[in-house]
Amino acid sequence: MNMGVTIAGLTVTYGDLPAVKDVSLRLEDGTITGLVGESGSGKSTLALSLLGHGNIASGSVFIDGVGDMSKMDKGALRAVRGAKIGYVFQAAQNSLNPLLTVGKQLLDLAKSHGVRDVRGAHPLLRRMGLDPDRVLNSYQHELSGGMRQRVGIMFALVLNAHVLVLDEPTTALDMITQANILQIVREVHADRGLTTLIVTHDVGVVAEVASRVAVMYGGRIVECGSTKEVLANPRHPYTRGLINAIPRLTGPVDVAKPLPGTPPTLGTIPAVGCVFRARCPIRMDVCSAQEPEMIDDVACHAVGVTAK
Amino acid sequence: MWRIAGHLTRGLAMIWAVTTFTFVLIRLMPGDPVQVQYERLIAQGMTPDQAESATAITYGFVPHGPMWKQYLEYMWGLAHLDLGVSVESQGVPVADRVFGALPWTVLLVLSGILISFLIGVVLGVVAAMRRSTMVGHGLSIAGSLLHGVPPFVIGIVLAALFTRRWRWFPSGGHFNGDEVSPGFYYDFIGDVAYHAVLPAASFAVASYGGWLLAMRSSVASVLGDDFLLAAELRGLRPFMRFRYLARNAILPLFTVLAISFGLVFGGSIFIERIFNYPGLGMLLYQSIGARDFSMMSGAFLLITAAVIVANILADVLYTVIDPRVRRQA
Ligand SMILES: Nc1ncnc2c1ncn2[C@@H]1O[C@H](COP(=O)(O)OP(=O)(O)O)[C@@H](O)[C@H]1O
Ligand SMILES: [Mg+2]
Repeated sequence: MNMGVTIAGLTVTYGDLPAVKDVSLRLEDGTITGLVGESGSGKSTLALSLLGHGNIASGSVFIDGVGDMSKMDKGALRAVRGAKIGYVFQAAQNSLNPLLTVGKQLLDLAKSHGVRDVRGAHPLLRRMGLDPDRVLNSYQHELSGGMRQRVGIMFALVLNAHVLVLDEPTTALDMITQANILQIVREVHADRGLTTLIVTHDVGVVAEVASRVAVMYGGRIVECGSTKEVLANPRHPYTRGLINAIPRLTGPVDVAKPLPGTPPTLGTIPAVGCVFRARCPIRMDVCSAQEPEMIDDVACHAVGVTAK
Repeated sequence: MWRIAGHLTRGLAMIWAVTTFTFVLIRLMPGDPVQVQYERLIAQGMTPDQAESATAITYGFVPHGPMWKQYLEYMWGLAHLDLGVSVESQGVPVADRVFGALPWTVLLVLSGILISFLIGVVLGVVAAMRRSTMVGHGLSIAGSLLHGVPPFVIGIVLAALFTRRWRWFPSGGHFNGDEVSPGFYYDFIGDVAYHAVLPAASFAVASYGGWLLAMRSSVASVLGDDFLLAAELRGLRPFMRFRYLARNAILPLFTVLAISFGLVFGGSIFIERIFNYPGLGMLLYQSIGARDFSMMSGAFLLITAAVIVANILADVLYTVIDPRVRRQA
């Protein structure tokens, strides 16, 4: 099944303020795309818009074979969510009803989508190294963070969704569990031939699982491309900043240079000019006057200059 | 299991404290009621021995002798549900009177609480879901309006309006003994309900606002929980999401329910007096007026026990619906 996702000119607002502004991005069928950026850059808002959630002011989110999520009515959205596209929350967030067992909530999911048979949950849970009978009889508070995350993935995929969105799936987990979850994401992605978007503030996570990466800042995608290329040869100053901020396990600690300044909040994102200019080491006059266009997968005036 | 054992222990300790308190009260009251009765009986022509044993039957202990011995006799009687006999209506065992009155008070309290709980919870959900509309604001105002007004004030207003101004409802009694006789049939149950409507409504009107406001804020907080967004993103049917919401939102209200039982039971003293409704509260009121100390302590004891039982029941209910508590138990 061919199920890529095309996001075109997407703007999502809270009140009047855009948290995602004029974003265009293609998630190729069968790839894992990483969406990376500091907290508050609009990643979750963008991820949720893939399920048609949020106030989509303009633009479209087209899932191949399903349709434009931004234009569907409530009933159609409900049928697609969970069945064609699955969403996984951060482990620390409580994405399960605390009063019902996992199994009972699984039945509710099946009933909601008119599905009778959810035995597919068993092999899926076993595949992720869990004991299905035990897990289905458990309540949320009886599961560890890593188990919750696997249960979240099970819920997202049990009805055979082909598009998988994971929002910070490894945040708040310990290192070993993080590695486990990423391994599982890689495996189920390959097993099922999914189109996956993994949202993270951690460039390391992207490097580990994603074949493509999009870098987000102030509600804009500022750079995208294949993970290998972007990480080896970052062109946008923000991408460079993110990569330089990673502490290495080898070598002196002072090699890691944290990004100076703080990311803007919704109210402080500049309306004109480049959103990153306040923290940019190579800003020019044009940066405050004009917002850089996305040219050749990067949106930066400085990059345009050197290319010319 | 341990929780219930804990409740029982605390409950027994409370009953012990209350009974000890009433014992001390009876013994140390100015004008010593035990001595007063003893002397009155002698004045009526009894021999000291007869008077002493009659007084002993009334209070459950021999009026003369060391205090600790009186206390032990009193406690020993209580342990056998012997609450003594009424001072006022001589010879009537207190236990018969208070246990006879108890069901009527329970009827009022239970129906009052259940009605106000149901109304308040339903309106609270609506108020939370329609927060920013006229309906939502209107409900919140309606909820705060009578919130904090004591039930007896409502009772006085209702009694004045519906038993005096308009004689729509009877002005006292459990049922009309001239027209129906007790039994499990429509007319009798209807008449009992007819007599209980106003007193129960006083509780309900006074407390529905509290439930409304509590439920509204509880719903509002659960609405912000991630699991509801997760349920929406999984494409769960709206009515299922509503069920998830309602069950999670109502949970914290059950702890309040236990407390409210106690308050309403206490409040029944006034309500039953206002509506001339012969329940436990009325009994307590009358016994205070008549300085009928054995009756007073019996009624007091039973009210305490009822509140404790209500607390245990509310806790059991809580345990049944919250798995986080259930599995620990
Ligand atoms: N429900 C909301 N109401 C108003 N503002 C919001 C809401 N959710 C997020 N925001 C704001 O939108 C911006 C982007 O948030 P988010 O998409 O969660 O970013 P990220 O996932 O990258 O941390 C932030 O400035 C955040 O404060
Ligand atoms: Mg986020």
